[in-house]
Amino acid sequence: MPKLLNRLHRASRIGYTALCVWLRYKGPQWWDRFRGNDPDARDMRGIHQKNADQVFNTAVAMRGMLIKMCQIVGTRSDVFPPEYVSTLSKCHDQMPARAFDEVRDVVESELGKPIGEVFAEFSETAIASASLAQVHKAKLQDGTTVAVKIQYPDIDHIIQTDLFSSRRIAAIYQRFDKNPMDFLPLLDELQRHLRMELDFRREVESGDKIRTLFEDDRIVHIPEFHHALCSRRVIVMEFVEGIKVTEKDEIDAAGIDASMLMPRLMRAFNKMILAFGFFHADPHPGNILVTKGDGGSPEFILLDFGLAKDLPDGFGMGIFELMFSMMTFNESAMLRAFKELGFKTKNDDDNTLIHIARRMVGRSDSGSFQGEFTEEMTDEMFDAIRENPVVEVPTDFVLVARAFSLLSGIAHTLGQSANALDALGPG
Amino acid sequence: MKSAQLEYSPEELMSEDSYESPLYGGDVLCHGGYINDQYISPRGKVRRPAIEAWRTRLTEEGQPLIHVPDAYVPPHYPNYEQAKYLMKEGLVQPVSRSLTTISILEGFGARIRDVALPDFDKEVVEDLSGTALAHLDKGLFEAHARDEAGHRDQGGHKQMWEAARDVGLDKPNIPGDVLMRLMGGGTSNRKAERIYPELSAQMEQTIISMANILVVETFAEDVFAWAMELLGDEEVSADPKLAAHLVDCVRIDEKPHVDYLTVALSELRGRTLISQDGKKTFEGSEVVDHIFSRLLRGSASNRPKEARERLQQEIHGQIQDARRAEKVSKHFESLDSGWTFPVAKDEQLEILTKAA
Ligand SMILES: Nc1ncnc2c1ncn2[C@@H]1O[C@H](COP(=O)(O)OP(=O)(O)OP(=O)(O)O)[C@@H](O)[C@H]1O
Ligand SMILES: [Fe+2]
Ligand SMILES: [Fe+2]
Repeated sequence: MPKLLNRLHRASRIGYTALCVWLRYKGPQWWDRFRGNDPDARDMRGIHQKNADQVFNTAVAMRGMLIKMCQIVGTRSDVFPPEYVSTLSKCHDQMPARAFDEVRDVVESELGKPIGEVFAEFSETAIASASLAQVHKAKLQDGTTVAVKIQYPDIDHIIQTDLFSSRRIAAIYQRFDKNPMDFLPLLDELQRHLRMELDFRREVESGDKIRTLFEDDRIVHIPEFHHALCSRRVIVMEFVEGIKVTEKDEIDAAGIDASMLMPRLMRAFNKMILAFGFFHADPHPGNILVTKGDGGSPEFILLDFGLAKDLPDGFGMGIFELMFSMMTFNESAMLRAFKELGFKTKNDDDNTLIHIARRMVGRSDSGSFQGEFTEEMTDEMFDAIRENPVVEVPTDFVLVARAFSLLSGIAHTLGQSANALDALGPG
Repeated sequence: MKSAQLEYSPEELMSEDSYESPLYGGDVLCHGGYINDQYISPRGKVRRPAIEAWRTRLTEEGQPLIHVPDAYVPPHYPNYEQAKYLMKEGLVQPVSRSLTTISILEGFGARIRDVALPDFDKEVVEDLSGTALAHLDKGLFEAHARDEAGHRDQGGHKQMWEAARDVGLDKPNIPGDVLMRLMGGGTSNRKAERIYPELSAQMEQTIISMANILVVETFAEDVFAWAMELLGDEEVSADPKLAAHLVDCVRIDEKPHVDYLTVALSELRGRTLISQDGKKTFEGSEVVDHIFSRLLRGSASNRPKEARERLQQEIHGQIQDARRAEKVSKHFESLDSGWTFPVAKDEQLEILTKAA
């Protein structure tokens, strides 16, 4: 399909989906109001499910950015209705793959050699295909089994188009809905992330860097890369096997002590975020595998360093201080921490920051902060921030909050908690 | 004689004296306050006499108290002479790190409020009314937690140590590796092994937590002495009077912590614990003494070697001139106290004082 046509097609399909979803919600509301019924009393489950299915189908067909968005929805089980969460969380690693021909073209043009010269075997069916890339199992000439991650050929272009259409749709929607949600900051954030994720050389570098952190700590394993075979659009790495972190039954069946999952996972992320200052910023369940370590304790394999981030000096300490001051609800200490982290308010109105903190804490289960940034709290914070345009939030903070909230989502699925403060003490 | 009150409400155990003025650490509001120019610890109005009453009851019953002899308390590393020497040579970082780490650990003391207590009625044979044990979750833990981590606008020990550091060392840089070292660098967390698997997990964990904190609080006595000497030394401190005073206030505040934990653990020693399935009993003294000795030995003897190597690396890392670094490192080592834990591996620890 010529570029322009493809673009139009994508834009109209996304727009059409958005319109259907919107109408399915608004239609019955109008009807109820017209009939004098209470719209809040209506059972929405059927409508949620229909909408979720349509969004999923569109995302699967369109890939790219839409899948990213679905992934976000799919981990926020406390915010979105369960119909969305269960449908959209399938976006993690169960996408239909592209045809092998397309894949081979990318591999050959990136490596500058026919595929058969580098690999003794190359499985034509993908083991996984996600938003930006698909992964194939292969064997090098020396017999080593590897995983090859290949970027979809036209992904650059697709993302540009999707971002453009999403912005248009968001703008149109905002004109029609009386009480619109502001999607634009989310889109900005997505755009930044996607740019980082599209260069696989960066991903390889990031994985190597995090591997050094866990050198003497068996708790986290990162697949070794075959550097000579990695490029902008292809990664060849050690093939690893493990259980997806949210598959509780499988984890139990493997004889792994599930009670240690969250404490250890939090510890690993604390180490990256609070102590090391460089972290895997996309801990969604599809990127974390569990293996059986000494005495049945869980160990983790981290995948996908597409979104890894350096934090400024002192940032980890700032996050720690923020959590601590929230725990004791010490407002002056909280303010110091917010400022240390780079939060700014126009006209220096400190009350706005305190107000945000109050709202966050108000959303926690116990009405007090105990060390877990739950999804509700993070969402409440972003809501509060959006409502207070005087506040400027450092991007690093957004990423850290998102990571903690993804971890909290995993904990939620496992029936555990993601307490960052608890996981900080000496081992 | 009118018998002393032994039952208290949480509100009573957390009630405050009427201070004439509050305590400030620099510009940070802290807890407690002054009466007649004397520093008075927070939440002590009733808590102090209450702990005294429980203790008196215990000693009147002829029960010994848990106690850690001074000889078991390891000196702070680097010691006062060593730390002062480093600072005079321009190496403030190790001291800044120590003080920051202490402040964080003090803050974590607040986790005592998360200890899940056993069902004492079911798991202890004897009656517990009128004991410190019965008041752990009725104000004692909560008051302790607030003393350590602060509460609302009042800073606690965490903030007091930070203030002492910032006042004494004139807002030093905080080394970037504090949290990494706190997390123990390399090692991963493992599930703690049960010591008395027949007791309920809550019972065992409560004893472990209290014993652990009591050991830390007792060892802290040496940390206070160290910090007061160092931060009170006008050759190295920017504000010797205030810095040392802040540490002294923390020291004064810790006394009720040591006291109530001592009383509570000693009360448990004198009782009979029931296994989870209700079929077996244990002497409280056997369980408490075993756990306490084990923790005490562990924390006293897992000390310097690594810390010592790290400090050597740091001296060499910070001082460019290799010859000077070598000189500083030699002199630093010559000031080492060479302390070791005084009890052999298979020898029993002295952890009790005789009944009064
Ligand atoms: N080294 C490997 N060994 C085995 N399987 C792998 C390996 N790397 C990736 N996979 C599989 O491929 C899936 C997708 O990989 P990855 O997360 O790196 O792709 P992605 O396109 O960045 O995905 P997303 O952005 O959706 O997280 C993983 O969830 C895993 O199932
Ligand atoms: Fe303290
Ligand atoms: Fe204390």
